[in-house]
Amino acid sequence: MNSSFRDAFWDISKSLSMWRVWLALAHEDIGDQHKRTTLGPIWLLINYLIYVGTFLFLFHKGSDTSIYAAHSSIGLLVYFYIMETLQQSVQLFVREEAFIKGTKLPLPVYVMRLAVQSLIRNAYALLGCLFILILSGIDFTCMSAYAIIGIALIILTTPAAITVFAFLGAYFPDSQYIVTNLLRVGMFMTPIFWVRDTASGIRSAFYWYNPFTYFIEIIRVPVIASDMPWYSFLLCCMMCLGLWTLALTLFARLRKEVVFVL
Amino acid sequence: MVSIDVENLGLVYTLRSKPSLALKGRRALLSSDRIRRDGRKRQVLALEGVSFSLQAGDRLGIVGSNGAGKTTLLKVLYGVYPPRSGTIHVSGRVDALFNINLGFRPEATGRRNIELRGLINGWTAAEIGGRMDDIVAFSELGEFIDMPFKSYSTGMAARLAFAVATTLEPEILLMDEWIGAGDPSFQEKARARMDALAEKAGIIVLASHNHSLLRRTCNKILHLESGRIAAFYDKISEFEME
Repeated sequence: MNSSFRDAFWDISKSLSMWRVWLALAHEDIGDQHKRTTLGPIWLLINYLIYVGTFLFLFHKGSDTSIYAAHSSIGLLVYFYIMETLQQSVQLFVREEAFIKGTKLPLPVYVMRLAVQSLIRNAYALLGCLFILILSGIDFTCMSAYAIIGIALIILTTPAAITVFAFLGAYFPDSQYIVTNLLRVGMFMTPIFWVRDTASGIRSAFYWYNPFTYFIEIIRVPVIASDMPWYSFLLCCMMCLGLWTLALTLFARLRKEVVFVL
Repeated sequence: MVSIDVENLGLVYTLRSKPSLALKGRRALLSSDRIRRDGRKRQVLALEGVSFSLQAGDRLGIVGSNGAGKTTLLKVLYGVYPPRSGTIHVSGRVDALFNINLGFRPEATGRRNIELRGLINGWTAAEIGGRMDDIVAFSELGEFIDMPFKSYSTGMAARLAFAVATTLEPEILLMDEWIGAGDPSFQEKARARMDALAEKAGIIVLASHNHSLLRRTCNKILHLESGRIAAFYDKISEFEME
């Protein structure tokens, strides 16, 4: 292992030991975002429920409303998490420029701060999702517990994805607009409101060649179909591994250089 | 033993060329002896051949015109910018004051900001709790300590920043052109604390345009111009004669 990777691992280990810092900053971030509102972060829950309700009203056709509600609410939960995290990630180092140029905090502290912030924000949406699942009469079985493994895998992938997109945003400022637009369009190319069975032609390609599909499936299938989608799970593990490899490589090579491009 | 040893320090970094509608001729005006063009890249010479040594008790003032490299040198000493050439050896616990507002959250109270700054500086919960009263007393914020930081004047913010940075008695303190903030009585109080820090075998490095402040505070002066050392005054009396 060369010295830049060794130093990178040292920075990561130091950042993990500074967990009080990133937890406190993430907590403050959430508080600041809702400082002037009466309902505070409860708005995150309300936003989610309004979204799901609107899309159910607009897109649902047919009789099996309860399954469709469960299908859409899980799809939206996962996609919102991914979309929000990636949009924030691509601006992360630019937004933290003053801190990066004025303190010696290792970069993974900022990454973990954003990861925790995304988790807290989406925990409110998760409450809304559980509420919809209970209302829709979904039977929770032992197999449903596999969804927890899916959630854990997504959480494990998050810091790596944040790191990759943060470097992308720092070195290619235009990428924040490209990523935002792709994620907005991606919402309709991902099986959130539509299902594989009804997909044909180009939409079928969107289903199979879309990485977000598999991150949704590893949570949705265990809950709705009481089954473990091993193929999707394997693909997600590979994507997680790939993202971590890329993140560590970028971090080892660029962590000292990024300060010059901000 | 607290010390700073800098030997032949150099820092060159690449400036990204951003898309611009400006005419090529006008863009070329941006070149200078410190900006070297290499195809589409521009290499900025920030520091070159900087060497000096500081021992316990030294208070170094850095002077120079805007863009001379004062802030860059402080940030290299702090470890924010990695040097491209030469060597730096810094022995001692370093703290820095580059920007009064840096790290302070406008919506949080002064007290909460002290806790957050303490965490960022690596203090334990016990250290934060133990130093809280000292910081509040030194900053003279009184009941404002429980008001949001955004309601503070520049002087109040400076007092809080200085109190936080110096309460844990860093062995090496780096400061960038900020001590002019605050009223004269606070400046006097800050100078007394810096004297106390230096007497406890610490090192202070202060970049400023305020020469009278530097004469009163420092015992050595480093004059930077265009990223290079124009003069190094080992005794403050030599600088006073300039």
